[in-house]
Amino acid sequence: MIAYLVNLATLMAIFGIAASSLNLLIGYAGIFSMAHAMFFGVGAYVGAQLALHVVADVGLAALAGGAVAAVLSLCLALPALRVRGEYFVAASLGLQMLASTIFGETHILTGGVGGLTGIPAPTLLGYDISSPVVYLLVVTSVLILTLVFIHSLIRGSFGRGLMAIRDSESAAEAFGKDIRSLKTLVVVIGCFLVGVAGSLLAFHMAFVNVESFTLDQSVLMMAMVIIGGAGTIYGPLVGVVTLMALPAGLSFLTFIPSTEIGTVQQFIYGVAMTLLMIFRPSGLVGQSRGRR
Amino acid sequence: MTQAPLLSVRNVSRSFGGLNAVQDVSLELHQGLITALAGPNGAGKTTLFNLVTGHVAPDRGEVSLRGRPIAGMKPHRVARLGLARSFQDLRLFGHMTVRDNVLAAVETGAWLWQFGGRAGQRDRRERVEHALDVTGLAPLAEIRAVDLSYAETKFLSLARILATGAPIWLLDEPASGLDPSSRAHFIKLVREAAQSGVTICLIEHNLDIVTELADRIAFLDRGRKLAEGLPKDILGDAELIAIYFGERRE
Repeated sequence: MIAYLVNLATLMAIFGIAASSLNLLIGYAGIFSMAHAMFFGVGAYVGAQLALHVVADVGLAALAGGAVAAVLSLCLALPALRVRGEYFVAASLGLQMLASTIFGETHILTGGVGGLTGIPAPTLLGYDISSPVVYLLVVTSVLILTLVFIHSLIRGSFGRGLMAIRDSESAAEAFGKDIRSLKTLVVVIGCFLVGVAGSLLAFHMAFVNVESFTLDQSVLMMAMVIIGGAGTIYGPLVGVVTLMALPAGLSFLTFIPSTEIGTVQQFIYGVAMTLLMIFRPSGLVGQSRGRR
Repeated sequence: MTQAPLLSVRNVSRSFGGLNAVQDVSLELHQGLITALAGPNGAGKTTLFNLVTGHVAPDRGEVSLRGRPIAGMKPHRVARLGLARSFQDLRLFGHMTVRDNVLAAVETGAWLWQFGGRAGQRDRRERVEHALDVTGLAPLAEIRAVDLSYAETKFLSLARILATGAPIWLLDEPASGLDPSSRAHFIKLVREAAQSGVTICLIEHNLDIVTELADRIAFLDRGRKLAEGLPKDILGDAELIAIYFGERRE
C-alpha cells in the first residue's frame, strides 16, 4: 500500500511540474498548446538515452532533457508567432501528431513503438537515489523549485507582459510589448520545464515508449490545468491531484469491475468537466468575477 | 504654428479589399496642442490611428515622428518612440489588477527584467502611483480590471497612457458614455496633460467635448480629410455638420 502511494505521489509530482509548465503557456500567456506531450517525450527520451549510454545522473539528464526540449520548442514558437487562437491550436495539434509518428518510427533514438527499456536506477551527484521514497523527495524538490521559479517569473514584469498579451495582444503591443520575444521566451521556458519532467518520468518508470507522449497526454495535461485553474500557481497541482486520484480511488471501489474502471472514469471526467465549465469556468482554484 | 510638427502624416492611404478606408490624408500634430478627428462613423478615423501606431501598414504615404519615418514599423517600436494610444473598446488587461494594468503599460523591456535597475523600478512605481492618484483609481488598485465599473475602465485606460509619460497621445473616444461629473474630471486631466506639453489627438463623437478640448479639428468623411481648422470654423460649417449628422452630399 505504501509503495503504491509513493508511486502515485511521485507521478503526481512529475505531472505537477508538467502541468505547471503548461500553465505558464495557457494560463499566463494565452498560448493553447496541444503539443506539450511532445516536449515531455523529448525530455524523457533524452534522459533515457543519457542514462543508457552515458551516465544515470538525474540532474544531468533533467538538464539535458530540458535543454533539448527547449531548443526543439522553437518549432512550436515559430507557428506561435505567426498565428493566433484556434489557428495555433491546430498548428500545435499537427506538431503533436507529427511527433507521435516520429517517436514511433525513429527506432535508433526512441526504440520505436517498443520504446526504451532497462533504464538504469537513478543517481544524483554520485549518490544512489533509487529508493522510491528518496526519488519522491528529489522529484518533489524539483516541483517546489519549479513553482518558486514560475511564481517569481509571474510576479515580475515578464509575467505582467505575458498576461497583458493574453488579455489583449494589440493593447500590449501598443504599450511597447515585443510579442515575438515574449512568446518565444515563454514557450522555451515552458518546454524546458516539461522536458525536465519527462526525464524524471523516464527514471521513475525505467521505461519509456510513445504511448506516454501522445495527443491524449497533451489533452490530459490541458485538463489538469483548466480543471485546477489556469493562470494560478496552485491550480495545476489541484488539477493533477484531482485527475490522478480519481482512477486511483476508483480502483479501491470493489463493486466496480476492474474492466469497467476506465469507462466509469471517462464518464466522471466528462460530467465533471461540463459542470465545472458551467459553474466554475475559472477552475477549482481560479478567481470568479466580482470585487473582493 | 511655425514650429516643426511632432507627428506628421503625409498623403497616407489604406484600403481593405474594395473599401478605401483612408485616402490621401495628411495631418500634423504640434506639441501641446489637442487635435480632434471628427466625422461620421466609417470616416476612417480609427484606421488613421492604426496607420500611425503601426497596427495597420499604409498602402501609400509617410508617417514621421520628430522627422523619423515610422510608417510600417511594428506597434511596439512605435510605442517605444513615445506614442501612446487608447482603444475605442479599451482593451484593458481584464484579468490583471488595476495597478498591474498600469505597471504593464510602463514596462517595455522584452526580456525577463526591465532596464534601469532599482532607480528605473522606483521611477516606474512612482509614475504608476501618480497616474492612479490623479485618475482616482488608487483605492481600486488591487481590483481586477474586469470587475471595474464603466467609468472606472475609462479612467484606467487613461491612467495607462498617463503613466507612460509618452509625449504623444492618441485617444479613441476616451470620454464616450461618461456621466457629467466623470466627464469633467476626464476633460480636466486631458487639458492638464496638454498644458504640460503633451501632444494629443483624439477621436470624439460628442461635439461638446470636442468644443471644450480641441485646439484644432480635422474633419474626415469616407476616408478623406475634408477640412481642418479651428473648432469654431469647422463646427460652424453647415455643410460639414450636415455630413456629420448623416445628410450626405453626392
